[in-house]
Amino acid sequence: MTEHIHNTQQNIYKPAIMKIVARHDEAPGVRTMKLEFQDPADHEFFKETYRTGMFGLYGVYGEGESTFCVASPETRKDYIECTFRQSGRVTSALANADIGDLITFRGPYGNRFPIEEFHGKNLLFVSGGIALPPTRSVIWSCLDQREKFGKVTIVYGARSVADLVYKHELEEWQERSDVDLVLTVDPGGESPDWKNKVGFVPTVLEEAAPSPDNCIAVICGPPIMIKFTLISLKKLGFDESNVYTTLENRMKCGLGKCGRCNVGSVYVCKEGPVFTAAEVSRMPSADL
Amino acid sequence: MTKILFSDKLDNCVERWKSGGFTIIGPVQRANISTYAAVEHAAELDFGLVLPDRSIKDLFFPQSEPMLRYTIKKESIDTNECLPPAGPRIIFGARPCDASGMSIDDPLFGWDYKDEYWFQRRNESVIITIACTKADDFCMCTSLKMAPDTTKGSDILLRPLAGNKGWQVEELTDRGREAFSAIADILQEGADTLAPLAVVEKKFDLDACVTWLQNPENFESRFWKEISMRCIGCASCTYLCPTCHCFDIQDEGDTYTGIRRKNWDSCSFALFTMHTSGHNPRSTQSARWRQRIMHKFNYFPGKFSVNSCSGCGRCSRQCPVDMGITETLQEISTLSL
Repeated sequence: MTEHIHNTQQNIYKPAIMKIVARHDEAPGVRTMKLEFQDPADHEFFKETYRTGMFGLYGVYGEGESTFCVASPETRKDYIECTFRQSGRVTSALANADIGDLITFRGPYGNRFPIEEFHGKNLLFVSGGIALPPTRSVIWSCLDQREKFGKVTIVYGARSVADLVYKHELEEWQERSDVDLVLTVDPGGESPDWKNKVGFVPTVLEEAAPSPDNCIAVICGPPIMIKFTLISLKKLGFDESNVYTTLENRMKCGLGKCGRCNVGSVYVCKEGPVFTAAEVSRMPSADL
Repeated sequence: MTKILFSDKLDNCVERWKSGGFTIIGPVQRANISTYAAVEHAAELDFGLVLPDRSIKDLFFPQSEPMLRYTIKKESIDTNECLPPAGPRIIFGARPCDASGMSIDDPLFGWDYKDEYWFQRRNESVIITIACTKADDFCMCTSLKMAPDTTKGSDILLRPLAGNKGWQVEELTDRGREAFSAIADILQEGADTLAPLAVVEKKFDLDACVTWLQNPENFESRFWKEISMRCIGCASCTYLCPTCHCFDIQDEGDTYTGIRRKNWDSCSFALFTMHTSGHNPRSTQSARWRQRIMHKFNYFPGKFSVNSCSGCGRCSRQCPVDMGITETLQEISTLSL
């Protein structure tokens, strides 16, 4: 075990102060915020530590802290982007915060996607709804050094066209010749001008039938989507050890102390949030 | 030659330690509950209890503890640490199970990230433990491979002399030796008859239980539903447990200033693990009781090589529906036969 010193501060619960420099509404109730560090020491710590897949606790004093991923890639560390759905007390306070307002951030915590190990391999990203942000961090981390990877396929779906997040980036990926983007919405969620697929992510994934040869799959979505996507990937011939996912359990500390994020003996905050499907299959499924 | 501390000299020790800057804390009866609290005189200490209702955990990890004070200004936010009130203290008359409970949680509060609030209090405390000469039906230290005179987590172990005359001193750590060097002249050298240690009956076969818990097939056993049927999820067991360490972080204050607190929480509560989406990984009381048992006897020892239980028995003793770890492990012992 290594000795970490969080944000150069001794106190592991003391957050960094971040300024909101931009914000963008992705979908109804879903917002992306771009945050900049106020203390250069905190920023330095982030630059040294952050790797794609890690998460943070974003907070508003007086309301509390919420856990979500760092949605920006490890290739862009001048700022942090986070995307969240307004649903509870903290996320409502975050949603009410304006450009120029200050919020808090603790992190980055957890492990990461080992993208150096993906060099020379084809990449398949499968994601659903509000789970695109963690996947997007890996996608851009790889696209920013595109030459190091083989074919890049992204399968992304949401309940409805309106619920798709990062619409501007989806357009960008759709136009890129070095990215294969498959978009889908759940049956009934299509708009009259929708030209992409209609169907659930696992079904659409099976139709797209990406080859498992020399391919790493990164999947992220609600538990039910993950469950069926894993089955589809198995059908397609993917080995469990080549499939990565990220678990997002409720957390308070993010530091392996408060005791709520564990699945079986695994502390998601410290040993995760990134796991291979092989690791997930060893966890007690009833506790997932 | 061993050192003896006679009971009638205890007040001299208390005075000496107090003038040396120590706060003296010990078992006392307060209102309707017994607990460990600060005292001015030795006479306030109650050594007649099997063990206080509340454990010494409260002294290291309080029920609610201010961590940070925040002030939001127009252009900035100030965060100030609220560290525990500084000052050395002597906990006199802890029970061996309570003392060992604190050392059990050290690796948890220290792995990778060091929790200052815990360790500052740990570093400033001398734990003087008194071996047990009395036990009740709920005590289960021996089942946990410990004993009424377990030394783990203690700086000094005192062995009661026959006839309540005093204690034979066993110095265990430098911190303990230092505290006792200040009262060296009050101690007497010599040997005396020791009171017999409490007899604590072994209630279950821990190794058999652990083997059963480690078998993945038993994770979804009907046993969990049956054993936890009457659990009302009140979390008394968690709060009174010397080793339960789960907590919540909550802010108290208004828009401009306030305090971020660390509060006890419990795996018994449904909200503990509930996702924002409404999905709850541990959605039933049986899943939560299973988590509690698994965490203590399977997951925690897997990580830190020690069971997260010191055998004090408070979980069973104080349970409003008469459940507890003892009963659960007794049943598991039978299942694993």
